[in-house]
Amino acid sequence: MTARPVRATLGVVAAVQLALVGVAVAGPLSARVTGEEYLLKVLPVDPVDPFRGAYVSLSYPTLHVPAGQDDTGGSPVAPGETGPVFVPLVRDGAHWVGGPGTRTRPGSGPYLRCDDSSWTLRCGIESWFLPQDRAVEVQDAVVRGDAVARVRVDGRGNAALVGLEVSPAG
Amino acid sequence: MIRARYVAVRRFSLVRLLLVLGAAFVGVGLIWVVATNLDRLAPLARFLLVAAIWLSLLVGSEVLAARRGIGDERRSPALGAARLLAALAFGAVVFQAAQSLQVPAYEPRLLGVWGLGALVQAYAVRGLMPLLLGIGVASGWYVWQVAESADSALGFVAAVLTGGVVISALALLHRSSWLRGAGLPRSFEVAWREAGALLVLVGLFAAALPHLDAHGFRWSASLVAGLALGAVSMAAAVAGVDDRWSRLELLVPVVALVIGSGLVLWDAGIEDVRYLSGAAYAKVVVGVLVYLATAAWFAVLGVLRDSTRLTVIAALALVVFTTVQAFAVFAPIVSGATLFLVVGGVLVVSGFTVDRGRRQLTRAVEAGAP
Repeated sequence: MTARPVRATLGVVAAVQLALVGVAVAGPLSARVTGEEYLLKVLPVDPVDPFRGAYVSLSYPTLHVPAGQDDTGGSPVAPGETGPVFVPLVRDGAHWVGGPGTRTRPGSGPYLRCDDSSWTLRCGIESWFLPQDRAVEVQDAVVRGDAVARVRVDGRGNAALVGLEVSPAG
Repeated sequence: MIRARYVAVRRFSLVRLLLVLGAAFVGVGLIWVVATNLDRLAPLARFLLVAAIWLSLLVGSEVLAARRGIGDERRSPALGAARLLAALAFGAVVFQAAQSLQVPAYEPRLLGVWGLGALVQAYAVRGLMPLLLGIGVASGWYVWQVAESADSALGFVAAVLTGGVVISALALLHRSSWLRGAGLPRSFEVAWREAGALLVLVGLFAAALPHLDAHGFRWSASLVAGLALGAVSMAAAVAGVDDRWSRLELLVPVVALVIGSGLVLWDAGIEDVRYLSGAAYAKVVVGVLVYLATAAWFAVLGVLRDSTRLTVIAALALVVFTTVQAFAVFAPIVSGATLFLVVGGVLVVSGFTVDRGRRQLTRAVEAGAP
């Protein structure tokens, strides 16, 4: 290949690969750039991802998908049905909690776009990556039950975990 | 001019091994650095640093190719290693982006993006090493994605065998009238074929294990999409090839998918291999015979397509399968001495049969047939 085709080829490869990276992280990136911030209570789980290292796995006791009617305009979740689900966020004092989930997108926000196909509800905010030496310390703090997740949510329900606030032991 | 015709294969094989292994270690090390989560740097700074390393390696590898006028990894082991390193570094970029944005752990989509990126690089620069990495990572993504959503052993077997169908069809597409004029290296076709055979053999290996069943299986969008892609790529390959061996090459993975899934769906009531019913014996025997026939076919295909690696893969698969089946299934039924005698006998007969078939086929190919 001559110099010009090589440059063009490299430009195309680099551009396509960078676009692919964008696709891989589109949801959380959109939430960070365009979303509003909400505080949710969390509980920990733990472990290591082979490609990205140690993280604290979080569950959200105030996010759940009860079957039944809702008042946001979405269709209700039928018992036994799984797949994409939208969980509206409702203010409860200083924090936000999940309302009844719906299978169709609610008419108004804020809400989280989640999926309940696996054993737990997944909304894209279940992992907090951090160095190995700090993971245990943070997990212990989260176990005490005073941790709060700072989450950004965009208008389409994409969510990104942008902070984990832990009260000092005491 | 002379150098352009010179293919240094055996002389530099050790150098090639060292370079590829070195590149693999450095690339995996880079991903590991991402995994250590260096929080002294801000997430965005970490991403930019890893992206700069990847871009330098990508540009550097092609500058190497252009400067030496090589453009072909067979003539320069260093070029293959450099391209492999760039493809691995792209994986580091994907994982760093995901880590910086706190994308939830164990997300199979990231592997898919990495594999796709490596394949884009491979076809753009005609690089074999990124192709091998891309096929491996993309296959891993697909199996993970389907197995996770299907939530059943049948999901795993169906995913692996569907991958085998798609990849085998892609191999044939490379020799079809569709892609023959694209100037792609022959090594691309060989790589897809070997990967397809490996997936088919792994899928049938799992399907032949007596304890696997379809309990909990549910259809997933990714499995349906894979089957649809398999059907489309098969149709395209069939339309683009005109000899019966190529059509048979396409048919074998499809038959393997059907029989493999059928074996897992076949509930013969096996709970303890010491007490097998007639139906259970039938299931075990069918699984073994199908595997032996498929491995023998790939050994033959290796000879037909001048791919020694494919024949070796088939022979190794045969040995591993026979050994595992002997110890996992037949060991509780027969005594230790009988087991060794039977396993040894089966291996010797299999080896003799494969070798005899290979010789006959080689003679037939050299004589101009088929």
